[in-house]
Amino acid sequence: MAGLKQIKSQIRSYEKTQTVTKAMEAVSAAKMRKAQVTALAGRPYAKAAVSILARVSGMKELSQNFSNGSNTNALYVVITSDKGLAGALNSSVLRATLADINSLGLKRDAVSVIAIGKKANDFFSTRGFRVEAFHNNNDKITADMVEQIVREAMNRFSMGEVGTVKIAFQNFISTLEQKPALYTMLPLSLGELSKVVDGIAPSKGAFSEPSNELEVPNAYTVEPSDEAVLEALLPKLAAIFVYHALLESQASEHSARMVSMKSASDKAGEKEEELTLEYNKARQAAITREVSEIIGGMEAMAN
Amino acid sequence: MHLVIAKVNENLFDGEAKSVTVPGAAGEMTVLGGHEPLITTLRAGTIVVRQLADVEPLQIPISGGMLEVRHDGAIILL
Repeated sequence: MAGLKQIKSQIRSYEKTQTVTKAMEAVSAAKMRKAQVTALAGRPYAKAAVSILARVSGMKELSQNFSNGSNTNALYVVITSDKGLAGALNSSVLRATLADINSLGLKRDAVSVIAIGKKANDFFSTRGFRVEAFHNNNDKITADMVEQIVREAMNRFSMGEVGTVKIAFQNFISTLEQKPALYTMLPLSLGELSKVVDGIAPSKGAFSEPSNELEVPNAYTVEPSDEAVLEALLPKLAAIFVYHALLESQASEHSARMVSMKSASDKAGEKEEELTLEYNKARQAAITREVSEIIGGMEAMAN
Repeated sequence: MHLVIAKVNENLFDGEAKSVTVPGAAGEMTVLGGHEPLITTLRAGTIVVRQLADVEPLQIPISGGMLEVRHDGAIILL
């Protein structure tokens, strides 16, 4: 007979686990909503920047202005979470990045990484990649942090150390669906940037918005010159990439954690029910045995 | 006109304004409703927003940025 006490303590431990996972689920749900609201608040900025770019790049070939020619070295800005317990969230981003590196046939020393989030840092440093910088992925995304990441990436690009800068993160599609995304941040292309801006509002769910065509206005006066505007605009556009990638990855992190905590709570509840049933059976068996012992004893005395 | 003043992570102003004065690349300039479409870089200085209601003009110090004026409004990116 599995001891009644033992089963009881198992039930209690499942109960406690469920309390914790339920609390984590609620916290993640709240954080996810906040991340979505913040993402939408940044939308006017992103849209305006893209429309200025569309106007200015109309006459200038962007790739000519800002390309490092034949340099194949690549810098990857990889965004993961600091903490685990979020399902396949981080591993799918890391796998997508690694797949991209391999498909380009890049050697290890041709790749450098800016890691955001502990998981990315651990992954790339244990595999012998050069991690140029590491940032924590906290709940609060500050303008300073975004600026710093942009500066680190742009410096290496403008000094000709790397030919491309790519950014990898988990893209938030809906609460139940997130997909890894990999965009080329530099050299800048209008196509990639408008994809990011259009992707800000999720296609499904409470915060979804119909995506509208990017309007390319004409007949603008540009002061002081197209080049000067473009030069001032470039860090802002890179900041949009980084900022929205961070937001997407946080929304994904929280929703992934919410979902995996929900399934953990459900599983704990199931286990608890199973054990309660076993406990009741064991208790019943013990009572039956005691009764039959008493009856047996009485009969022995009667004889 | 509809005016938006935004940083990458927050909106500093979003609403109707009578006029806005900015430190443009070619000197201080004031934009009223119905201004010609324009894109200009901004120098360090102060943005002054005059709102429709009779309240004190809003002053926002900046270290640089960009202004886009369209037919339907203006956007300042900091």
